[in-house]
Amino acid sequence: MRRPLRLRLVLRDLAAGAAFGAMAVSGQLPVWALGVFLGALVLALCDVRLVARHARLSALGLLVAAVLLGMQLMSGAMNAVVAACSFAGLIAAQRMLSTPDAAAEGQTHLTGLLMVAGGAALSGDMTYALCLIAFGVLASLSLALGVVEAAVPDGEPVPVRAVLRPLSGGVTFAVAGAVAFFVLFPRLNWAMVGPRSAPGLGAVSTAGFSNTVRLGGAGTIKSNPRVVLRAQLAPDPGRDALDAYWVGRTYDTFDGLEWTNVAGAQQTERQITLRPASDTLVHQRIELLPAYGSRTLIALETPSRLGNALAHTPTGTRSSPVQLHGGGEVRFTITAPSYTYEAYSLPPDGKADLSTALLQPEKDQLLALPEHLDPRVGQLASRVLAGEKEPLAAARKLASFLQRDYAYTLEQGGMPEDPLGDFLFVRKAGHCEHFATALTVLLRTQGIPARLATGFYGGTRVDGGYLVRAGDAHAWTHVLVPGRGFITVDATPPSNRTSQGPVLLERLLALYEAVEARWRNSVVDYSFRDQFELASALVRPPRRPAGSAENPGSSRLPPPRAWVTAAVVAFVVWRASRFASRWTSRAPALEATRLLDRVEALLQRAHVPRFEHEALEDLTTRLARDGHPLALALTPLTRRYLEARFGRRALREGEAEHLLATLRRALEAEAARRAVKPDGQSSPTARAS
Amino acid sequence: MKASARPPFRARLRAFFRPPRTLSVTKTGRTYLVVTFGVGLGALNTGNNLLYLLLGLLLSMVVVSGVLSERCLRDLTVRRVGADAAFAREPFAYRWAVSRKAGHGFALTFSEDLSPLTGTGRLGHLPPGQECVVRADLAAPHRGPVRLSGVRVTTTWPLGLFAKTRVFFLEGTLLVYPRRGYACKEPGPAESGPRGEAGSPRHLDGTGDVAGLRELTPNEDARRIHWLKSASAGRLLKVEREREERRIWKLSLETGLTGDALERRCEEVAYQAHQLLEAGNEVGLQLPERTLRPAAGGGQERRILQALAWVGFEDTDSREAA
Repeated sequence: MRRPLRLRLVLRDLAAGAAFGAMAVSGQLPVWALGVFLGALVLALCDVRLVARHARLSALGLLVAAVLLGMQLMSGAMNAVVAACSFAGLIAAQRMLSTPDAAAEGQTHLTGLLMVAGGAALSGDMTYALCLIAFGVLASLSLALGVVEAAVPDGEPVPVRAVLRPLSGGVTFAVAGAVAFFVLFPRLNWAMVGPRSAPGLGAVSTAGFSNTVRLGGAGTIKSNPRVVLRAQLAPDPGRDALDAYWVGRTYDTFDGLEWTNVAGAQQTERQITLRPASDTLVHQRIELLPAYGSRTLIALETPSRLGNALAHTPTGTRSSPVQLHGGGEVRFTITAPSYTYEAYSLPPDGKADLSTALLQPEKDQLLALPEHLDPRVGQLASRVLAGEKEPLAAARKLASFLQRDYAYTLEQGGMPEDPLGDFLFVRKAGHCEHFATALTVLLRTQGIPARLATGFYGGTRVDGGYLVRAGDAHAWTHVLVPGRGFITVDATPPSNRTSQGPVLLERLLALYEAVEARWRNSVVDYSFRDQFELASALVRPPRRPAGSAENPGSSRLPPPRAWVTAAVVAFVVWRASRFASRWTSRAPALEATRLLDRVEALLQRAHVPRFEHEALEDLTTRLARDGHPLALALTPLTRRYLEARFGRRALREGEAEHLLATLRRALEAEAARRAVKPDGQSSPTARAS
Repeated sequence: MKASARPPFRARLRAFFRPPRTLSVTKTGRTYLVVTFGVGLGALNTGNNLLYLLLGLLLSMVVVSGVLSERCLRDLTVRRVGADAAFAREPFAYRWAVSRKAGHGFALTFSEDLSPLTGTGRLGHLPPGQECVVRADLAAPHRGPVRLSGVRVTTTWPLGLFAKTRVFFLEGTLLVYPRRGYACKEPGPAESGPRGEAGSPRHLDGTGDVAGLRELTPNEDARRIHWLKSASAGRLLKVEREREERRIWKLSLETGLTGDALERRCEEVAYQAHQLLEAGNEVGLQLPERTLRPAAGGGQERRILQALAWVGFEDTDSREAA
């Protein structure tokens, strides 16, 4: 057996790697499966066929892996798709490391194909498309080289360069065809969605809410640029930087170290109403991404209503009820990597007095102070306020003081026993939790009710929506103003409220998110509605905005793209007709062949003696040479058959029937002649003289 | 009688399903189609757009495969170079010459269409504007003339999913010689003297050193004349060698043999003739319908083999002649 082409094997292994990558980007495969496959890929690329001589042992290993995966599946620790994909990856790894024969080639490509299909069920990320295209290109090249290599005689080189040129064109055509099929193939459903459950490769929940906020931790999250939330707002503010507060929950009890809540209302509904609705609510359609990692719903500051939630679990998308907890926190009741839901919030200048909706223990906690609070805190507040008693003005005065005299830093010097005193009187530097805690406690020392709120601050505009990053996590203060409810006052310096990550990395991620958003809108969420709108857009002029005056110079003709579409369709029809004309041009030859078949059948029925495999023209020649009466009918018929078959002189309409009728009459006459012939005369001999 | 212009429906249906190209699905292709079908069902069932995308790519690759294989088989020019000698039930070298004016051809497999010849020739790459000779080891099941109707050219390019075949109609005949099998019987004694058309054994060629010159007698081999000495002597002089006499065998094929007995006898005669001619003897052949005069050398062996190959196929011979 000759040695296979190294390049082909490398392409095959890389194709399998791309197919595995299509699954791996979902982040749902177990780490050990990732490790095994990557190790096998590296070995295969180094041409180390580890299991070539241990086929049975490796098959046994696969069997053990199948049993383990099955047990995990039965115990519910792993879902069926992930288990099947993991096993496909293991099979591909085993095949890559085995002897590179034809069977191993085919099985590697087949498992690659299955892995790509599995990846479609696991992930909806744009990286899947890249892996799919990479797999298609690499596998096609490998297969084509294999086909040519099999046909090249031993010892001759495989024409790799000659193969690449037509094949690259073919693959390009295939990708374009795939896009065309995707766009044009009619969907059978109005609302199709792709998988949203994938946490992504290397995803770690970074911005989760906990039941407490403990001071003193390092603010590493502020440098994390991962996107945790996508939102579509209506009405659309249209600003590039939203600079809005996205509240998750509030805290009212501070013990000197950490913030907690007293028990609040417990209510489970499909939709939770926190405040009375008004006509000017801001509607938000929010998607919480796997990097968020919490069950707390987020909404723009002063949320009114939250709900209509869908939990995107690995086993599918389900409707999730929401539950109200203390501190105005609303949680999903189903744990899932990602969620989508709707929220309504009051506009920034809206007023809603929530104080009456609070329970009495919650109201009491808004003025509670830690037991061992440093007395200098109250003195500091009195000195800064200088007799100011109006809550909002006092809060703003204290916030200005903190922003002016205190520095923002993410660095922490250990874990002090009194983090608030350490911030206010020692280090005079901290992050948003320190600023918000200081403002809240300073207000409470002066008898002004306040609480701590946590969530996100910011919002970067991408493709018509807004993104919020893990680094946008923030804490601020709610001041209870009589008659107006809770008013947001932020003591953190404005420049330090949003994400503190590297600017270049954030720009790159923003670009990626923009492309990813288009991918999701154009591919993952592509539906019959989009197809309908696409078709409508091609044939109808664009709609004018309501109320706009009609342009007298505008034409009622279809738009240019409709003409272009019509031209493209006409070209395709023309090419198809050209292609079909090749078939119709074969008609004369087929007609001649049919004439020959009918002549042969007539001659056979009449028992005309013929040699084995004797052609019609040979028979005619022989009969003419012998002076046989049938030659008179056969000669013109044979000549016309040959002309029609090979001479490009098609039979005229009815000519074949006329020739056949002549032959029939001649055969009948010959039969009658033979019937009256004496028995002693022999029939024509079958031997040519 | 009114003639109908359109052929009958059955004929049209048959013509539709029998296009000039034949397409068969390979084992890899069957698996590919099954997976494609499964992905299609999955896409329809789940509504997963990524599966639609994958399905589109898989179907597009099928179309690309068809287009590229069609381009590969288009505009080919094929001719037979043929074989030096084809023996029944023995592999023999056979050649086709193939070329195309423009465009590359890949992974072409050649075979004879509708013939009992087995074996294929392969060509990995056919560059444009060049004529490539494809060699194949073919085998014929029995001796005799084999009528060749066309050359089948098959390609699995580009992905090996489908094997597309085109038949180039090319009439021809290949004469398959009888196998030179082992002969149980000895060829019998050599001819002992002048007999019939064989003439005197002394007119035959000899071996060894030159023994002398003598005058050429009638019916002696003219190739033995020493032209230089003959010119100087003014008469035809013949070279005599040490081992002057070459023995003559006259093999015969008995009449009335048919079937396996005839085949076996043809193989025996072919073997005996080969052995005798290899030893430098002259061999003649007596067939029921013709006779070959004794002669030596490779040319005589070919004549004997041809005569043996045609035994029992004289009717075909006469038709070919006609």
